[in-house]
Amino acid sequence: MDSLVRMEGVSKIYPRVHKPRERLQAFGSLLLGRKPAHGAKVLSDIHLDVVRGQSLGIIGENGAGKSTLLKVLTGVIQPTHGRVMVHANIAAMLELGAGFQPDFSGMENVRMKASLMGLSNKELDARLDEILDFADIGEYIHEPVKHYSSGMVVRLGFAVITACRPDLLITDEVLAVGDESFQKKCIRWIEQFLKNGGTLLLVSHSMYVVQKLCQKALWIHDGKVAEFGDVFPVTQAYLAWHEKRQAKEKEQRVRATGEGSYYRIEQFQLLEQQGDETPSFAMGDSLDIELQIYSPDDRPPVGVVGIVRADGTPVYGVVSDNENIQPVKLADNQYRFRLRFTDIRLLPGSYNLSGHSMDPEGVRVFDMQQIAFTITGSTQEVGFIKLPHQWLD
Amino acid sequence: MTLGNQKKIERVFFQNLVIRQIRQDYLENLTGFAWLILQPLIFLAVYAFVFSTIFKARMPQDVDIGFVPYLAIAFWPWTAFSEAVLRASNSITSSGSLIGKIAFAAEQIPLATVTATFIMHMIGYLTVLIVLQLMGTSIHWFHLSLVVPLMLLMWLFACGIALFTSATQVFVRDLAQIMPPLMTLWFFTTPILYAASYLPESVQAIARWNPMAWFIARLRELLLFGEINFGGIALAMALIIVVFAWLSLRFFRRFSGHFEDFL
Repeated sequence: MDSLVRMEGVSKIYPRVHKPRERLQAFGSLLLGRKPAHGAKVLSDIHLDVVRGQSLGIIGENGAGKSTLLKVLTGVIQPTHGRVMVHANIAAMLELGAGFQPDFSGMENVRMKASLMGLSNKELDARLDEILDFADIGEYIHEPVKHYSSGMVVRLGFAVITACRPDLLITDEVLAVGDESFQKKCIRWIEQFLKNGGTLLLVSHSMYVVQKLCQKALWIHDGKVAEFGDVFPVTQAYLAWHEKRQAKEKEQRVRATGEGSYYRIEQFQLLEQQGDETPSFAMGDSLDIELQIYSPDDRPPVGVVGIVRADGTPVYGVVSDNENIQPVKLADNQYRFRLRFTDIRLLPGSYNLSGHSMDPEGVRVFDMQQIAFTITGSTQEVGFIKLPHQWLD
Repeated sequence: MTLGNQKKIERVFFQNLVIRQIRQDYLENLTGFAWLILQPLIFLAVYAFVFSTIFKARMPQDVDIGFVPYLAIAFWPWTAFSEAVLRASNSITSSGSLIGKIAFAAEQIPLATVTATFIMHMIGYLTVLIVLQLMGTSIHWFHLSLVVPLMLLMWLFACGIALFTSATQVFVRDLAQIMPPLMTLWFFTTPILYAASYLPESVQAIARWNPMAWFIARLRELLLFGEINFGGIALAMALIIVVFAWLSLRFFRRFSGHFEDFL
């Protein structure tokens, strides 16, 4: 395998430098060749290989260390520990107009940037039309960059990159700034670039973009690699984690009100469930569910079973009463419902099964319990459920 | 990417940095290029008036040259040196928009600043020499071929100091306040406004170790007196400056990877 960039055990600690005394201490320790010991640890022990022709998406919540990782990778900052080896002509677009000088015109900045990326003045002149064409900012090219809108800065920055024909393109969230048509232009260009054997490293919060452009994904959490692998499982795991975190609070609130309830849930389970892991199913599997309810007056209660997304959005629910279903009586005060969802058509992601107990009149909900499960698979369909469809002539 | 390619990138980038610096510092006003010639001449007129008319500066007995040319020959190289060092000292701390955003060898920034300042002042120096000639001072033009390597050595000396101070200033911000008075002190302790022979004997012994005093004495000899006075000392001076510049570069590189954390 032809490795373009390799990181070995990379850590980055930002030293504390607010007070002059701390600066002086850092100065002294660097002079003696020591590493700064205290500070904010942004990355810890990252191993990464970027192979030629691969496209890798880097995902993670804000502050997880994604941008720092890219900066270390491009050599803009030095890692505190570990090594970074680069064997490629890198074009990085990390920040809006990185390296652009606000007082100089767009044209001068293009020259500066192009020279940094290895274009001689002669090569640049030959490709200047191409750059101006891609940026498409008209006469503004002769205005100082400080008068540009953020979108124009990105256009110009991206245009220079397209002319430099790098081996490895690294881009941060910047593409999100341009307007719709420019974004599409960029994505088309990146797709063409990948088709021609280019290598891509992309940071994005849009799982759609990551899944569309990348084969592999790296999930960074608190400066560590949380997961690395094919794009679909990793992005799904990341989304699931996100949804779960958001839903946690809500769930706790619901649970609190369920305590000491009258018609309470004795047991709510998936019948094939094994072990403590989150059960997972493929699209098209069936789910067998059991709901046992304690009835204090021994009258048959009403049961509700539903599916909600991990963030709490309801997907589907069914009430026993409405379908004239009576529970099976197991013993005194003990009733049981069993339900099978056949051919489950949920799109891959993280979901919860939700069971509720109601009084025999079906008026009030007394208790609720949830079971998390995931649907696995790779698809680029969007939404929650797969609707049967056919394309017509 | 081959090493040669990398070298080429750095060369083109460096050229652009120097050009940018020149534009930013010297050509960013309406009259543009005219100032390049006018500014040195105005300075020369002011100094001539203040020192020969008001202070009535004396020349050594054995020197048959006016005060103005005597001063002018020394003053421009000193200005180039001092301005280059002062500008370059601030160059890293004021380059936040480049450092931490794009990957390049940071030493290019102070080096480009020193180079740009030297280029501009050498144009001024040439102008002054021509004006002096026109006003009747005979300049030994043939010795320019020796002045050029002398100036290159002075440039290297300025680079060495600039690498040292620009890196240090990232950590010790007070240096921005300390440097200008230090350079003024250096200016007055170097025989620029006066001849070295006016210094007390004891001080002369120390002043001999001042590289700037050496440079300026050689420049006066070459251009005004037509003397060529290079010997073992010149060789030693060159060697010391080369070693000093190399050590400064090592010093700079020890810190350059960490600048971003402190800017």
